[in-house]
Amino acid sequence: MSLDNHDTRISRRKFLLGSAALAGAVPFLSACGGRSDAAAAPTGPPKRGGTLRVGVTGGGASDSLDPHSPTTNPDIARVRNLYEPLVYRDHDYEVSYLVAEKLEPSADAATWTATLRKDIRFHDGRPVTPADVVATFRRIMDPDDPKSGAASLSMLDSVTAKGDRQVEFHLSEPSAVFADYLGQYSLGIVPADFDVAKPVGTGPFRAESFTAGLQSRFVRNPHYWRPDRPYLDELVLINFTEDDARINALLASQVDAIDQVPVALVDVLRSDERMRILSSETGTWLPFTMRVDRPPFDDVRVRQALRLVVDREQMINQVLSGQGRVGNDLYAPFDPAYASELPQRTQDIAEARRLLAEAGKSNLDIELVTAPIQAGAVEAAQVFQQQAKAAGVNVRLRRVDTTTFYGDNYLKWDFAQDFWYTRNYLPQVANGSLPDSPYNETHWQDPEFVRLVRTANRTSDTGKRARLLKQAQRIEYERGGLIVWGFVNQVDAHQVYVAGLVPDRTGLPLSGYSFGHVWLG
Amino acid sequence: MTATTTQPTLLRRALALPQAKIGLALTTVVVGVAVLGPWVGPWLTGHDTTGFAGKPFQSGGIAGTDGLGRDVFTRFLSGGLTLLIYAVLATALGLVLGAALGMFAGYSGGRLDSLIMRGSDVLLSFPQLVFALLAIAMIGPEGWLLVLVIGITHAPRVARVARQSTVAVKDADFIRAARMYAMPRRRILLREVLPNITGPLMVELGLRLTYSIGYVASLSFLGLGIQPPTADWGLMINENRIALVVEPWGVVLPVLAIAVLTVGTNLITDSLASAAARTSNAGTSHSAKEASA
Repeated sequence: MSLDNHDTRISRRKFLLGSAALAGAVPFLSACGGRSDAAAAPTGPPKRGGTLRVGVTGGGASDSLDPHSPTTNPDIARVRNLYEPLVYRDHDYEVSYLVAEKLEPSADAATWTATLRKDIRFHDGRPVTPADVVATFRRIMDPDDPKSGAASLSMLDSVTAKGDRQVEFHLSEPSAVFADYLGQYSLGIVPADFDVAKPVGTGPFRAESFTAGLQSRFVRNPHYWRPDRPYLDELVLINFTEDDARINALLASQVDAIDQVPVALVDVLRSDERMRILSSETGTWLPFTMRVDRPPFDDVRVRQALRLVVDREQMINQVLSGQGRVGNDLYAPFDPAYASELPQRTQDIAEARRLLAEAGKSNLDIELVTAPIQAGAVEAAQVFQQQAKAAGVNVRLRRVDTTTFYGDNYLKWDFAQDFWYTRNYLPQVANGSLPDSPYNETHWQDPEFVRLVRTANRTSDTGKRARLLKQAQRIEYERGGLIVWGFVNQVDAHQVYVAGLVPDRTGLPLSGYSFGHVWLG
Repeated sequence: MTATTTQPTLLRRALALPQAKIGLALTTVVVGVAVLGPWVGPWLTGHDTTGFAGKPFQSGGIAGTDGLGRDVFTRFLSGGLTLLIYAVLATALGLVLGAALGMFAGYSGGRLDSLIMRGSDVLLSFPQLVFALLAIAMIGPEGWLLVLVIGITHAPRVARVARQSTVAVKDADFIRAARMYAMPRRRILLREVLPNITGPLMVELGLRLTYSIGYVASLSFLGLGIQPPTADWGLMINENRIALVVEPWGVVLPVLAIAVLTVGTNLITDSLASAAARTSNAGTSHSAKEASA
């Protein structure tokens, strides 16, 4: 799984103190007249000016302003506002153009040409040139020090400048979805003479001050290519490691917005008229992973039976307090080629029992390795254990800590869990479902599936490619090793006077941490 | 002094103190809940510990539901027994191991004494919880390991007390007499020394039991003790703390139970200590009178 998956995990080993403080603070704050003087939500055209203070989860002494190696949530939030890649996934998970105004493949999809925006400038006023783009990718792909974005660009052979405004990407193997790979926040374009001590990019804000582990203060970029944006004069990103401290800061109006509201507290915040909950449907998923090359999961009937014991609605309600959508053992729900025509799998205990009996595995006894890798993971394991009982399956839970989970045995556990952010189908397959994928938890290597995916990767025709991808998904639906029970909503909160934050499908909190379109009422 | 005369006297004296009565009452209540809870709970509430009783963190029933919609009161009633069993076993292990080592070291004296006591000093230099965390991180959160590791970390503390008390009695006339009769060392320790150091050991028993309860609960709270979906007080505090504002009972009930239990055992321990001190003072003054006579 990719770097970003690991770094947003939420620590569960936090102490009671914060909760106690929160318990004390809420009644007090309500008594202070939160409701009586509740502000109205801003309306009308966006206003210029003001400072937005955002509480962001995590971060620490290793925080940096490096555009190409963001690891923690505060890092990602900074990178999203200081730098911009050529293209990026917008709130609807469609490719939108940032530094580039056009990105086109050659007929064989082996060369892609990006055309830079006219008059786009860095924070220091210098224009962005193709040489800067080439230097940026040289920095990312530096063999001595590859940055995190390099992991998914393995097919990128070389980058060359072409004329005043064009850059060519030459691929070692054709990829019809190369735009997907380029659309990452860790691929921000920087000047050829980039120095992280003087971080310069094309983002809506430029760095004013930064203290690792504490906070960063950004100011409006006067050279930003979008007219009138950003609306804010200043953006302050503040690290919070504790859920309770972050929520407390919002309730006490010390910050204007926070990411990652625990689902249990959504109703509490919602009942406060000064607050708004921002709940985004995302493609983030928390699958159970069965190794298809290890007994008893090497028998497809066992895998299908375990998929049938899951009551997906109950999973969403009990694990996510309703903040999610049921899954159908398929990922990439926002991909235009998502196989929505496949019937929604629902709990069928009788059929599960029949399949297990047929496989000679009635009274199955299995171990499920779980860890607090993401909010809801250990809880999902417990609900699954409970549901499996109905089909006579005894699930033994083995809870390990996150370090152990992602330690030497990661990708070797017979039956475990994992979590992934929103991706389209082919990029997700490249990460986790091919024999040479870096994070193939289920050891899935179905030859027919591999052939379909490889063909689709070379197919530029969208219709033809969609047909191939739907066939590939059908194979995973019928014999894959993942139990995809649901997709998790991203839940954040902000003060009512903060406008412009919209639901975002990428799975990144607070409108994908993009504050260029945010304004204060 | 012998066991037959000292032990009942010490216990009786201790229990005569008002704080012991309060301590005993508090401990009895919590132990009663922990022991009977797993059977009474489902009958009383109509839910089992792992089944879903409603939506997550929902009011209703006696104490609402937890983050997975399980009945908090049922889980509370079932959550004390394992903690109690682990704490008692760990205390027993620590006491037996520590008393044996301490008595042996104190009675033997010389190099053996130095070796055992310096060895236990090394163990003492590790904070107990850190040592437990280290062992559990390496091997995994197994029940036997929890008992073993807490027991072992108690042992040097008990050994110090046992050694000190043994040194105080080892040159007493009745032990010299036993030695003269060529009584084997093991027998002297068990028959002559042990009955005469029960006072301090019982104080240690109470103290270590209080600590054991705290450690087992802490480790479960940190996710390294009793594992989900088992209902356990320490684990319940962790699972429900995020919703302290919405549904406090999931945290308040186990916190109260652990607090009452530790206060109870502490009060009993205090009474035992007071009674033991009085006994020993009485003994000293008696000896002083004898000497002056």
